[in-house]
Amino acid sequence: MAVDVNKVYQRVLAIANKEQRGYITPQEFNILANQAQLDIFDQYFYDLGQFLRVHGNNTTFADAVEMLKEKISTFEKYNTTVGSGVTLPTDLYRLNCVRFNSVEAELISLKDFYRIQNSYLLSPRDEYPIYIRTEGSIKVYGHTSATNHALSQKVSNVACDYIKKPSLVNWTYNVVLSNAIYNSSASDIQHFEVHESEESNLVYTILKFAGMAIKDPSVYQYGAGEEIKDIQQEKQ
Amino acid sequence: MAQISQTQAGYYGASSGHGAYQFTSLRDIINAFLVIYVGEDKLISKISKTDVRFHAQRALQELSFDTLKSVKSLEIEVPSTLQMSLPQDYVNYVKITRTDSSGIERVLYPAINTSNPTAPLQTGSIGDEGFIDANADGAIDLQSESDTWTAFKGQTGSNVGEDAYNFDTDLFDLFLGQRYGINPANAQINGTFYIDELNGKIHFGSSIAGKTVTVKYISDSLGTDAESRVHKFAEEAMYKCIAYAVVANRANMPEYVVQRLRKEKKAATRQAKLRLSNIKLEEISQILRGKSKQIKH
Repeated sequence: MAVDVNKVYQRVLAIANKEQRGYITPQEFNILANQAQLDIFDQYFYDLGQFLRVHGNNTTFADAVEMLKEKISTFEKYNTTVGSGVTLPTDLYRLNCVRFNSVEAELISLKDFYRIQNSYLLSPRDEYPIYIRTEGSIKVYGHTSATNHALSQKVSNVACDYIKKPSLVNWTYNVVLSNAIYNSSASDIQHFEVHESEESNLVYTILKFAGMAIKDPSVYQYGAGEEIKDIQQEKQ
Repeated sequence: MAQISQTQAGYYGASSGHGAYQFTSLRDIINAFLVIYVGEDKLISKISKTDVRFHAQRALQELSFDTLKSVKSLEIEVPSTLQMSLPQDYVNYVKITRTDSSGIERVLYPAINTSNPTAPLQTGSIGDEGFIDANADGAIDLQSESDTWTAFKGQTGSNVGEDAYNFDTDLFDLFLGQRYGINPANAQINGTFYIDELNGKIHFGSSIAGKTVTVKYISDSLGTDAESRVHKFAEEAMYKCIAYAVVANRANMPEYVVQRLRKEKKAATRQAKLRLSNIKLEEISQILRGKSKQIKH
């Protein structure tokens, strides 16, 4: 479930080089490819919010929400240990769920955090843990013991589900006679991680950025035009 | 969709946990509610677990007070102090009984005409009343027990048999029912009590000293995790109560939806109460067979 980085590069080159418009170096491509992947990836979440507001259908592969969930699922990581109950994974993009002892903890705002502690009905328990987010980390709370219901921060048995950042795309190559030749067996090769259905989108988005890089408005217009056409088709 | 995950041998061989199948835990109800009632294309699109937890606990409390069966009781032998501490998770009593020699529980009646008022020590120098502050800490000293309570517990016991049916309670022996007509509540020998809410004590009349007394009471079912559960007859009522409470507290919720859920909640609660009333045809028939007797005691 990945888009071949070489396939995308060759297509970008084929379109950009048409009529000798310009050449995109591997270094430039890698930068633009990552920018394009992030662009597409980030849009998933806004699109999901938008599509959740409209009625869907019961056919999994034709329902916009289900399609987006499938695309996002590639990046979902399940039950990852939270170091010392505090440190979130380094490749975290969006936090989905935090659990203590396999029980889902609820995110509480700092404003409610202090109020909740003093409520006999709502004070956190190990069966109903809560967590707060501060300075890029989390703090999970339950109760101290069965006979002591005082607030207690949990430093172990904390896990989270989250959506990871896409890995940095890397088109790897060897230089042969001053030409960059694709090396598919390099250890640091990294294909696109977005869903296979995004292959065309990737090409268009990279072309759009490349058009700006090589100062060719026609490349930019072509990429942007195709991208808009795609979006209209998806969202009409 | 089988619900039983324990083998028969495991169930019958266990030392505890029998009969648990009739109950659903509060945690299960909260989790099921979040999955089934909350989400896109549902009446409640989004809600925090804390909100649901709050409303679920409140629903359980309310159902415990009116609908669920009262199963809590505490039996003690009344000490010479004639006092008993209220149970730890006490909310209110259903009845307080004395166990007679046959093991039959005889209902004690509340002594509404007495109490245990705060009684400061007097004969000192503070104020016209002569209060005392021996420690000079600003707080006047109190008697160990009020005169009212001393007098109440000092009533001598009746010498009639404790199982007799034809005597009034000792406190009212002087009023034999000839002068004014006796109050039926006092026409018994079972004994009396009153509850000192301020100090959390039940006070008994002197005739109860040394007797076995049982307090049957209601709690709010939130005392321990083990008791935070609902009978399956009342499970639907729990869901309806939570749904109504959530929707009724939301802004911009159409009133007809709120009213619909209110009616559903009332109907489900009524149905749960009816089911839990445990009315059995054979038992009712047996009781009704006594209807033709002219004199019943």
